[in-house]
Amino acid sequence: MLRLIVRRLLLMIPTLLAVSVLVFGLSEILPGDVGRTILGPYATPEQVKLLDHQLGADRPLVQRYVTWLEHFVTGNWGTSQVLQEDVFSLVMGRLGNSLLLAAIALIIIVPTSIILGVVAGVRQDGIVDRTITVVTLSLTVIPEFVSGAILLVLLAVAVHVFPVTAAAPPGASFGTRIYYLILPSIPLMFIELGYIARMARAGTVEALAMPYVRTAILKGLPKSRVILRHVLRNAMVPTVTVIGAQVGWLVGGLVVVETLFSYPGLGSLMVQAAIGHDVLVLEASVMVFAFLYMLSNLTADVAVAALSPRARRGG
Amino acid sequence: MSDDGLSKEYGQHLVEEVLKGRMTRRQLIVRASVFGLSASAIGSLLASCGTSSSSSSASPAAAVGTPKPGGTVTVGAAVPLTALDPITMYDTGGIVTVDAICEYLAWVENDLTLRPVLAESWSPDATAKVWTFKLRQGVTFHDGSPFTADDVVATFERLLNPKSGSSALSALKGILSPGGTVKVDDHTVAFHLDVPFADFPYLVSSGNYNSVILPKNYSGNFIKTPYGTGPFMLTKYVSQQSATLKKNPNYWQKGLPYLDGVIFKYSNDQQGQVLALQAGTIDIQAQTVYAGSQALFSDPNLDVLVFPSTGFRELAMRVDKPPFTDKRVRQAIAYSIDRPGLLKALFNGKGQLGNDEMFAPLYPLQPSPEPPQRAQDYAKAKALLAQAGHPNGIDITVTTEQYLEVPQYATLLQAMCKPAGINVKIQLMSYNNWYSGPNGSTPWLDAPMGFTDWAPRAVPEQFMLPMLTSNGIWNSSHWKNPEFDKLVAQYDASLDETVRRQIAGKIAALQQDETPVIVAYWIAQLRAISKKVHNVGGNGSIYLDLTRTYIS
Repeated sequence: MLRLIVRRLLLMIPTLLAVSVLVFGLSEILPGDVGRTILGPYATPEQVKLLDHQLGADRPLVQRYVTWLEHFVTGNWGTSQVLQEDVFSLVMGRLGNSLLLAAIALIIIVPTSIILGVVAGVRQDGIVDRTITVVTLSLTVIPEFVSGAILLVLLAVAVHVFPVTAAAPPGASFGTRIYYLILPSIPLMFIELGYIARMARAGTVEALAMPYVRTAILKGLPKSRVILRHVLRNAMVPTVTVIGAQVGWLVGGLVVVETLFSYPGLGSLMVQAAIGHDVLVLEASVMVFAFLYMLSNLTADVAVAALSPRARRGG
Repeated sequence: MSDDGLSKEYGQHLVEEVLKGRMTRRQLIVRASVFGLSASAIGSLLASCGTSSSSSSASPAAAVGTPKPGGTVTVGAAVPLTALDPITMYDTGGIVTVDAICEYLAWVENDLTLRPVLAESWSPDATAKVWTFKLRQGVTFHDGSPFTADDVVATFERLLNPKSGSSALSALKGILSPGGTVKVDDHTVAFHLDVPFADFPYLVSSGNYNSVILPKNYSGNFIKTPYGTGPFMLTKYVSQQSATLKKNPNYWQKGLPYLDGVIFKYSNDQQGQVLALQAGTIDIQAQTVYAGSQALFSDPNLDVLVFPSTGFRELAMRVDKPPFTDKRVRQAIAYSIDRPGLLKALFNGKGQLGNDEMFAPLYPLQPSPEPPQRAQDYAKAKALLAQAGHPNGIDITVTTEQYLEVPQYATLLQAMCKPAGINVKIQLMSYNNWYSGPNGSTPWLDAPMGFTDWAPRAVPEQFMLPMLTSNGIWNSSHWKNPEFDKLVAQYDASLDETVRRQIAGKIAALQQDETPVIVAYWIAQLRAISKKVHNVGGNGSIYLDLTRTYIS
């Protein structure tokens, strides 16, 4: 088990390197440059050239990459050329926001979708199953900017139950911050509900058909105990894998929800950095994002291994 | 001083213009303000014009009810793309924030009147080549240092240094050069221009938004040393999120500002801003765009201010690229456009008709004679095309930026051109790609035919010089016409209103006939505000003056 974790952690290093090269290369292909972002469309080309030179943005790509890598691995993430702020504290601040939103969303999503999935699986093909399946799948296909906007109109504008933004005022207590994040979590729940509940349902149906479950039932164990002890554990294996894959999206991919609820997360920072050619910020946030993504997948795999002995041996 | 004498003489000239019916009273107020005439002087000029309709529009921000001090307003604005920096700022989010902290020598009001701010008065010499500005005394920066002529000189020398990268450099190019800003005494500055320029005060006002006065020892990092002379002081700035400002207790206008503080909240989501306005989370939306804002017009708690502006969309045709080398082809396209139809479809009729020349209806100085308003005329368009050797019609490609209503404009253009035999192919480009292409290219200056959004300008020269003269830096149409260049230079140099209007008439007629660019409409700018907030100007939706704003 430990060997598996160490090996996977070591494998992250070449992956992260590959990601960093890719991002550097791609940001080169993007039209425009950092000098133009800073000075705007009405500055003369000469002024832009002068600034690019001052910032070193006109040096060869390889040279810039090597300098960046040296600084990055030694913990010197530099200062954003566009925002004139320390990259490390900027990215970490945004990451903290994103993690909090992801955590709230997961706390709402995971129990809800697993309960719904298991209930549907137990009542397979019944009216309850059909209702749960139709409702969760319908919610999943609604894009988050649609459900988010509708929720905002209903719960923040028409009735003032929730605030219209996800960002609590400066100096707000932890409880207030969480309160501000409930509304933005709901569209995320809608999206995730279908996937996760579907996996939990499939796992439940499969487990219920297993001989050992039949034995347990025939043995006379109460049904609730059979489901909790035998079915749920096996149904969780595919579900955990799916959840693991979604965590990455919840941390760094929420550009739409972050924009709609004006929440300063990692996703919108990445988009702004890419548009503005702010390479230092873009690289740092993509690296953090990629690392978290791999970490959440690894955690999911470890959890699966803990749940199922077969996967442990296969690792 | 003899310069003041000149201003007085100019005032008399304006009165004559009004008496002869060549100028309206409103136009007199605006023009007199450019020449630094004080409010009382303007009042007496109006009195000598006769007594009809004595209510003047000199102060568009007139108070409603009794201002009540206290409270904080929250302003929603677009996310500043870069660090907050007065010298290089170019987007609304950055400009409205800096406008609350820093001040200009003069402020451009909604009707384009100039209101003295850090300058008390100004006047030109007889040739309009040297402009002398008397500065306000007893003003201090937020760090306590006094405001003097040295700060003004340092500010303009900084803007004119290519290394500072300010857009103000292109606005002042060919008019004011380094070394041209001269300290006369501690409270007097003289601008020695390269050429005579009758509308110069606009170039050192909010109309040239980077020209806020910063201390002479400005550090270069505004977040660390955010010192202006304005009504509010920056206390906290969080990149891409918010700015928190508090009242400046030592503000030079006693009793102002009324507000205790201002919070700027940055968001790029128009829909989110609309919802925040409706929920009361923000009180003022700095720039409201028409599309997607319909809900605001019917909201009983909100006012949507609608102001005519001088902002427009340029449809430029490369006069050096066939088929646009023939002016008849360019004219044929202009005659295919149903301008009132465009305004109706794009803005529900809000806005003003364009006439393919730069003298927007809002400008106090109008061409004499005014060229006839262009209207849709397919027969004429077809005839022009046939004369140009295209009896069976032509195929053209127009590039459009992905920006507000511009793609819809392109689609309407396509439909409107079809009956004239002009087949328009539309090429769509992202806003960023359009202004800044790969390897330093600039598609908006190179495309054979394309749309460009121009923000409002206080005087038409700010369009004509960069966009249409031979040496213009933003000349998308590549039109070079020595006659036009000469006329614009004459226009800039003349202090006589009648002569200027006649030159304007020639400029407008020449530009319309040559049609290097199509100006189909002038945009109405919108600004949505909560009904409890008073004294908020429109200011082209780009600038924001909160000095007299109060909450009821």
